[in-house]
Amino acid sequence: MDLIKQAAFDLHNESITTWKENDHQVVGYTCSQVPVELFYAGGILPVRLRGVGIQGLDIADAYYGPFICSFPKAILQSMAEKKLTHLDGAVIADGCDSMRRLDECWRKASNDYPHMNIPFFHYMNIPRKVSDHAKEWYIYEIQKLQSVLESHFQVSITMEGIQKATQTYNKSRKLIGKIESLRKSNPPKISGSEAFSVSLAAESMSPKAFQKQASAVYDRISTQPSEIQDGPRMMISGSAYDDIHLIQTIEAAGANVVGENVCFGPSHRANLVSEELPPMEALMAHYLLECPCPRMFGRFDYRLALLKERIQNVQANGVVLQNIRFCDLHASENGLMERELEKDGIPCIRLEREYGSQTDTGRLRMRIDAFLERIS
Amino acid sequence: MRPEIREYNFDWMLHKSMHIAFDSLKGSKNEYRRMLNYMPYFKGLMDLLGKYDEPGILFVELVKDAVDDIVFAHDQGKKICMTTFCLSPIVLLAMDVVPVVMEPLTVLPTILWKRGTYDFMNHCFEVGLSETSCSSQRGALGAYLAGLCEPIDFIVFDSGGVCDTNANVFSFSASYLNKPMFQLDYPASFLDKKTKEYQRKDFRDLITFLESQTGKKLNLDQLRIGLEETHKQDLIISQIDELQMLKPNPLPPIFNLFMYAGRFLATSKPGYTKLLQSMLQTAQNNADQEKSGLQSGKEKCRALFCYIDHYSSDARMWNFLDDHGISHLGSILSRFFPEHSPYLQDDEINSGYHIKLNTLDDMIDSLSEINARSPMVKSIRGPYDSPYMWLADALAFARLYQADCIVYSGTPGCRNTWGMVKPFARDTEKHGFPTHIMYSDAFDERVESFETTSLRLAEFFRVRQLI
Repeated sequence: MDLIKQAAFDLHNESITTWKENDHQVVGYTCSQVPVELFYAGGILPVRLRGVGIQGLDIADAYYGPFICSFPKAILQSMAEKKLTHLDGAVIADGCDSMRRLDECWRKASNDYPHMNIPFFHYMNIPRKVSDHAKEWYIYEIQKLQSVLESHFQVSITMEGIQKATQTYNKSRKLIGKIESLRKSNPPKISGSEAFSVSLAAESMSPKAFQKQASAVYDRISTQPSEIQDGPRMMISGSAYDDIHLIQTIEAAGANVVGENVCFGPSHRANLVSEELPPMEALMAHYLLECPCPRMFGRFDYRLALLKERIQNVQANGVVLQNIRFCDLHASENGLMERELEKDGIPCIRLEREYGSQTDTGRLRMRIDAFLERIS
Repeated sequence: MRPEIREYNFDWMLHKSMHIAFDSLKGSKNEYRRMLNYMPYFKGLMDLLGKYDEPGILFVELVKDAVDDIVFAHDQGKKICMTTFCLSPIVLLAMDVVPVVMEPLTVLPTILWKRGTYDFMNHCFEVGLSETSCSSQRGALGAYLAGLCEPIDFIVFDSGGVCDTNANVFSFSASYLNKPMFQLDYPASFLDKKTKEYQRKDFRDLITFLESQTGKKLNLDQLRIGLEETHKQDLIISQIDELQMLKPNPLPPIFNLFMYAGRFLATSKPGYTKLLQSMLQTAQNNADQEKSGLQSGKEKCRALFCYIDHYSSDARMWNFLDDHGISHLGSILSRFFPEHSPYLQDDEINSGYHIKLNTLDDMIDSLSEINARSPMVKSIRGPYDSPYMWLADALAFARLYQADCIVYSGTPGCRNTWGMVKPFARDTEKHGFPTHIMYSDAFDERVESFETTSLRLAEFFRVRQLI
């Protein structure tokens, strides 16, 4: 678990250091709609960019305006603070408006902080709807990404390579699914913070190292009796969430977090990419059509059905609908979700927070306590 | 929402306000002057409209007619479509659909009513929309979400890929009101073949959607008439644009608002053509006398508004400019990029649309090309410093219109521009244009009072020795 925890909270962890020692490349990317298989097929390790371990946002605030989500700001700050110097490249996807402007802010900041000027930098454009031409466009974008990766890193990304990478990442997804299944019992066999750490680690380790570590976690936990106390079963949904602090706050209040419906969690990681479809189509089907993010407009019913299914699967008693301040997509979606779920008798609480751990602890704890009183 | 607010329908109140404004302006000068005593809270606005005689009256008439269309749409058997300012309404009007454009409907009560639209903005939050969403829609939207308007039939927007907060508002409304919706989605690039092809296909899907919602086919003759009228309007706008380049600028600042509000509400309608002709006449008269369009006739400074304008109660921003001798050189809202625009002489932004009328297919392509150049849709869909995007446009306009400075006015809800306005402003400063970022909300004075906003603006003009 130590290596998993390290990888979950440090993007320059042991697994990445080992990967780099073998003269392999590492490329950071910003959004769960970027297909990791493409990089891996070219021998490049994709790492989801995050802003962990920073102490403030002073540098990021010099480029971003004040009314912006703190998540992309934290990534910029992290880069400026030399926490991501091991990156050989970055792919900025237009996941949302705040995140897509990381492209310009990063480029401009690299004039003032030369170490930010990394050799490979690519902007990826992803449709916000599902239609025949949107599918074509997504495939066009990943073909473009394939081509720039090949030419910059002097690698060959073949269809066979993508198929193999798909199999490798699917193995990780199945493992995450197995670990997630340990949360279904009452009380769960694994704490929310431990389970979510596994999902986070999958985003910042080489898949093979991850599989070794995650298998060990599964073997250990599935064979030993649960030490977790009974308590209300909670699910966390909403904005990008990539630390365990909120989970710990909820668990410290006496509840068990039994599932997440956030883009760093199993909602994105547990679904398999088809190994039958032609590789590019399989990637499109997974990353575009199955995307559960509200950036895909007009797909609320699809997302609501998914969330209900997940709540049902883990038998959650309540849902924490959280959003980072200025994340309008999730904040508004949370408003709609709350209305629909409460109608079905599923208690919800809406929380606004800032990105990063240890922010707002007291306020969050007070609201969680009040919510647990309501549902207990 | 306070119960008393629910007593009156939003669109009916607007309808009444516009009729009173129109009747007042149409009265004799004496009647009008007496009337001003009874409207202490929007005297400045009325005066602003009144002092330009014909263009002011025509503008009020255009808005009055647009609101009438909304109020009586269902009585006349027409469908109502909730939409956004950056979607060109030509295709809707050609299909006899009445557009309910959220942003102008927010601006109107904001500048016209003492209490603005605060209750309606708050209502959006009460029903689940994020409080940090863009205020430009929330003012009118709250009334629609509260059921205080003629109900809409469906929703169309075109800000997917362009502006999340805009698109999100319409997507939210579709789910909340349980109405069908369609979004045009834009790639980050602009002129390449792939992008054009995507836009073509997407626009055809929009027409299929509209046909299914209205139960009728797109009428070729009606569309042709609409596009011909739009072409006529484009030619007049281009002439006005050219006059605006003169020093002093003969265009009164408020004419910018007339130009874009008319475009958002009534493109392709003869009433808008009439308004433009009248504006052109006024500006031409000023130009013939080498006179500025400012009330004083003296231009001290030329300001390019690189994004939107500021819509404080009583339209005080426009009077502020007038009082300080500051010429308004247009904003992102008043540039539409028809092929004959004088600013297209700048190679860096030479990307105008051409209206083709030969076949239905040609006309649909033209609509798609017009829409792809709508405010925001054209210039903030991609990285701000990419070709044909915000920086290239702003610098070209600043050069061509001989701007002394650039002013950014927006809303805290604008994730897209607040994501990069600081580097943007540094770039424009590097090119020699003093640039001021306004931290106020163009539609919500609770964020920053206009007194503070105007003090900061005045300080900028003074400190940078612009006036």
